[in-house]
Amino acid sequence: MSYVELKDIRVSYDNKANILKDLNLSIEKGELVSLLGPSGCGKTTTLRVIAGLIEPNDGEFLVDTQNLTKVPVHKREFGMVFQSYALFPHLTIKENVAFGLKLRKEKKNSIEKKVKDILAITGLEELGDRYPKQLSGGQRQRVALARALVIEPKLLLLDEPLSNLDAKLRLAMRIEIKRIQRQLGITSVFVTHDQEECFSISDRVAVMNKGVIEQFDTPEEIYNNPKTEFVARFIGFENFFELTPTEEWNYKAIDGTVFHSTRDWEPGKHTGTIRPDDIEITRNSKQTENNMVSGIIKVRTFLGKSYQYEVETPIGKLLANKTDDVVYQVGDEVTLSMPSHKLIIV
Amino acid sequence: MRKNIGLKIFAGLVFAFLLVPLFIIIVTSFGTNSTIQFPIKGFTLDWYSKVFDNEAFMDSFFLSLQVAFFATLLALIIGVPAAYSLARHKVFGRNWIKSFFLSPTIVPGLVVGYAMYQFIVIKFQFPIIQGLFLGHFLICLPYVIRVVGSTIEQLDFSIEEVSWTLGCTKLQAFIKVVLPNITSGIFASFMLAFINSFNNIPVSQFLSGPGVTMLPTSLMNYIEYNYDPSVSALSVILMLGTIVLMYVIEKTLGLASIS
Amino acid sequence: MTQRRVPYLILAPGLILLILFLVLPLISTIFPTFFNGGFTFSNYTSFFLDEYNFGIFWRTIKISLIATLICVVLGVPTAYYISQSPKKWRGLLMSITLFPLLTNSVVRSFAWITILGQDGILNNALMNIGLLSKPLTMLYTEFAIVIGSVYLFLPLMVITLVGILENIDSEIMEAAETLGANRLIAFVKVILPLSVPGIIVGSILVFTGSLTAYTTPQLLGGNRNIMLATFLYQNATALGNWQGASVIALIMIVATLIVMKLFSWVAGRMDKRGEASA
Repeated sequence: MSYVELKDIRVSYDNKANILKDLNLSIEKGELVSLLGPSGCGKTTTLRVIAGLIEPNDGEFLVDTQNLTKVPVHKREFGMVFQSYALFPHLTIKENVAFGLKLRKEKKNSIEKKVKDILAITGLEELGDRYPKQLSGGQRQRVALARALVIEPKLLLLDEPLSNLDAKLRLAMRIEIKRIQRQLGITSVFVTHDQEECFSISDRVAVMNKGVIEQFDTPEEIYNNPKTEFVARFIGFENFFELTPTEEWNYKAIDGTVFHSTRDWEPGKHTGTIRPDDIEITRNSKQTENNMVSGIIKVRTFLGKSYQYEVETPIGKLLANKTDDVVYQVGDEVTLSMPSHKLIIV
Repeated sequence: MRKNIGLKIFAGLVFAFLLVPLFIIIVTSFGTNSTIQFPIKGFTLDWYSKVFDNEAFMDSFFLSLQVAFFATLLALIIGVPAAYSLARHKVFGRNWIKSFFLSPTIVPGLVVGYAMYQFIVIKFQFPIIQGLFLGHFLICLPYVIRVVGSTIEQLDFSIEEVSWTLGCTKLQAFIKVVLPNITSGIFASFMLAFINSFNNIPVSQFLSGPGVTMLPTSLMNYIEYNYDPSVSALSVILMLGTIVLMYVIEKTLGLASIS
Repeated sequence: MTQRRVPYLILAPGLILLILFLVLPLISTIFPTFFNGGFTFSNYTSFFLDEYNFGIFWRTIKISLIATLICVVLGVPTAYYISQSPKKWRGLLMSITLFPLLTNSVVRSFAWITILGQDGILNNALMNIGLLSKPLTMLYTEFAIVIGSVYLFLPLMVITLVGILENIDSEIMEAAETLGANRLIAFVKVILPLSVPGIIVGSILVFTGSLTAYTTPQLLGGNRNIMLATFLYQNATALGNWQGASVIALIMIVATLIVMKLFSWVAGRMDKRGEASA
């Protein structure tokens, strides 16, 4: 049994539409798990169920074999970092951080020491006596983190904590969060809609869509082997085309082209997909080999490090990126080849 | 999903405290007894017809409507341009002038009426009705300055600059661009000022005389000597007026805009 | 040159009307109270030294203070409840609060006459269920004025507070809960301190409103429970003591200003979020 267990969680606000349906999730001790998905997919709801801010209509929630489903939020002892940081504007940074410790009726010098230590870890030593209004976005973020961590929570919950920061700061903070999480070995759940952020920080990622988890795997596994069309689309597979399975590892497209894959896919899957980066473009060779289609370039877009071509082919419109010196023109006939180890069937 | 029963009960009791007295008035207006009773015996609409037959009530009702309407109108004519000027122009002592415009709210209404009566009616022998009108203008003006002022401050200044670049004079820009965009603020301040003028007692208390009595004062005088359900009936009619106004405000601006 | 004059021309009509019909009347009414042969404060010192007069002043302050306190106690939780309600209910609850506010204050005081009177609804109800053997005197007491004032001004307090409480990020309350505070503690430690500015503004409205109210003490206080406003009216009309009325007028103005300054000062001291001093 895992450290954190969500079992058949169902959440519905009006008992008609389900926000979450039969959601199951297991998290190991010390792990940082991300919930990734577009807005409205239920990732924040899941986090709020864990926090105890939403009571699920059905299902159970366990931590360390204890059933916490009915335990109110203030008795769960989880640290939570909110999207808006939710710092108490009427308290200084020190008072903000000490808030949870005071409620636990800890001794005064113990509180002082803990506050001092956590402010040091989060790099806020100098700012203890300021008020939240006087801090920058990144500093407020650290305070929110310190306040959640200082109570030595069983679980750290982060609700899109980086979404209010600018790009540069976001990068620095996510390294910071990862470092502190590792240092304290604290089991964490991180909600985000940013794929790159999520992959860089997580041990495992749960990709969510419409209230269910579509795939729960390591970042590498999700990046390389999306299990469903939704996951593939969400993480940047922009080319999708119908295939019919023929013999083992072989598929046939609607124009008869044979696609070969290097792997065994679950039966019943029949959509081929590949990233624009993984398609190779060459001048039309008029050859018909496996895993190759020919077409005409319709649109060319300059992306900076490469060009993206939109190519009209018998199996549909395909996007391909090319970094080479050879630049094709709109109207050029080209051949696209899809390496069999890059082709995914979902 | 997460409820708080204690808070709910507390708030429920407060809402009951706010509504039950008015509900009682409504019920008592239908009683047949010649003094006010609750619960009532019998059912009659006689007290309503009594209200409409009471000349003092009807005269003061129309007087109140007129005074409130024209006082508000004058406050708008003078207040809207002033609010604009305070929001947009570089005016020496801007904050002082603004506070000065809002000062009628600081002076207690009864004192306003009293000073006005002493100065204008006694000293300069103005007719009471003029003092009444001016007194109500004074209490209307701050609403216009405050509400219209904040509407103008929220209005994007660049739309005026655009209209200047397109060839509008300052006055044309005010009429063609600013006014159409602050109608909601003007309407809200009109409603607020009108309601407050119509309901006001302290200012009118001194400024009344033969044939010049505002409805609330007239109702108050009546209550001092009578205790019959026609007071309830008139109260219900006034409440209906309030409901109509609230409905109009809700449909046009949303009640949030005046609270 | 002419461009610069435009704002002053626009502001002039309002300023002139205010000076002519507010400032001058006030000065001409109040100025004479400082002269008795020469310049003197004697009218004011003798007002406060007179036991009867001071009693009225003290009653006014006391009733206003009690009414304000009750409005805070009833208003804060109610406003919090409204601000936490779902959008569709909030409109209705705000209407319930606004409705009495927009209803004529004579009507509102009259309602309490019918409830608190000797033969009123409350007395009859209490006697019917056997809690009382003879009616209590509730109307024409200070108690009646307090109830009337609370009834008059509670909506103002609630509406002011809803405005403030709605703007408090709901995640702040949740953050307090995740840190181990139950609802009540989170409310007391977080929501209450943050609503101080609203409580102050609301208290200024209620306190100065009660301090200068005329209708409520006139209708619910009777002859024995005179307050400053009714005393002013009585002096000017029944007693024909214009000087006395003018003295009370200035006392009411000054008391209003002092209350506003005092409360704002308190607000400044308590609101230490330090926006400016970075």
